[in-house]
Amino acid sequence: MTELAVVVERTKSVCPVCLRSVDARIVRVGGEYFMRKQCAEHGKFSAVVWRTTTINSEQLTINNYVGSDDFTTDTIDNYMMAATCCALVEVTSRCNLCCPVCFAESGEIARAEPSVDELYGIFKRLCDDGNTFIQLSGGEPTVRDDLPEIIAAARRAGAETVQLNSNGLRLAREPDYAKTLHDAGLSFVFMQFDGTRGDIYERLRGRDLFADKLAAIGNCGAAKLGVTLVPTVVPDVNLDNVGEIVNFALSRSPDVRGVHFQPVSYFGRYPSPPRDRDRVTLPEILRAVELQTNGRVRITDFAPSSCDHPRCGFHGDFVVLPRGQLLKITPKYDPDACCAPDAHIKNRKFVSRRWTRGDEEKTADNADFSTLDNFAKRAASHGFTITAMAFQDAYTLDIARLRRCSLHVADASGRVKPFCAQYLTRV
Amino acid sequence: MDWKCAKCDVELKPKKTLFSYLGNTFSHEVPVCPQCGEVFIPPELAEGRMAEVEEQLEDK
Repeated sequence: MTELAVVVERTKSVCPVCLRSVDARIVRVGGEYFMRKQCAEHGKFSAVVWRTTTINSEQLTINNYVGSDDFTTDTIDNYMMAATCCALVEVTSRCNLCCPVCFAESGEIARAEPSVDELYGIFKRLCDDGNTFIQLSGGEPTVRDDLPEIIAAARRAGAETVQLNSNGLRLAREPDYAKTLHDAGLSFVFMQFDGTRGDIYERLRGRDLFADKLAAIGNCGAAKLGVTLVPTVVPDVNLDNVGEIVNFALSRSPDVRGVHFQPVSYFGRYPSPPRDRDRVTLPEILRAVELQTNGRVRITDFAPSSCDHPRCGFHGDFVVLPRGQLLKITPKYDPDACCAPDAHIKNRKFVSRRWTRGDEEKTADNADFSTLDNFAKRAASHGFTITAMAFQDAYTLDIARLRRCSLHVADASGRVKPFCAQYLTRV
Repeated sequence: MDWKCAKCDVELKPKKTLFSYLGNTFSHEVPVCPQCGEVFIPPELAEGRMAEVEEQLEDK
């Protein structure tokens, strides 16, 4: 028997083959939600976007988006509604890994790299526009020997927060490197960390990197440089490890500041066209975390992002107490906060405060953390977040989500564009 | 500095008091009027620890 498909939203997307604008629907079939669309030339497409009984939705749909009916990812900036929270700047296309899965399609061959002066120009334009949270990305930024100068240039241009996206290999192998970057002005590291088992790295990254990850965390810890672990979650590879990842990260607090899950999405480089069983959605990650941590962390400890579209991410906010107990401090989701004009500033401050190692005033292990003093000290030293961001690809791209995006990529002129529009690739 | 309650004209005494914000409750000793229970929040507390905790609890 065919199950009833109920249309819950109408939106715009692209044809995964030609990337031309097409009408799309979000439909529910039982406990799964799919994006379905049709291209006059290339036929019908369907991809799962959400697996649970209720969907995070919002009233904003294609019906109230201003602009022409057709959009391209080149003109999406005409329709963007959200201000920039974090601006990503690619400092290199080179990488010291060649992962089977890579959104940036990085490798050993270099495209022309911007000089430190050119990068300073980009940083300056971003900061002059109020975009003072800068993510250095690539490629693998640490392959550039002038990375400390690049970080210092971002600070000189006015950046309040400088994040490094890294696989951690150089941080692992050069013990003083973390301190060098921290001294240059780096705020924290977003480190690729796909699991606590070697086989996970062999499958996703081509070789076992777990020992390197441990060494990188140790070196950053010694330099008081905060590290947030960033697993790419792939069904049949590491969805069964997400609870272990959370427990491991908590055991390394305050060196480790949080875990940021990224469900795999299919753009850039990936081994084969995705089937629905190759996708994992945000609610499934939350369920897996609750089950695999035996309820140490629960679904109810999380709220959808109030900065981006509620289907783009979630966050949970915690304070780690001396014997590993957790104080759970995620406030309830306020849908009215989502479109507040300062949502991006709040988000920027929140993540920056959580991911950067703060003042570490000591508290006794048996302290009473319900007092204002002890809570304040512990939250500053041992704050911990579990967050996620679901990137979109040519199968799942939803203009309603793009328009609410606040993670932007800067081009050479300092103009910004949503991350998922920048890295979109056709099949 | 010693404070007096303007209404009751008695000296405030330190007392452990509960504060709630965004669903979380904390305790702190603050000057309280022993007669009418009026609580005085010293500016250094409001702009110091209290502001810190407020910031820690605010949503992203």
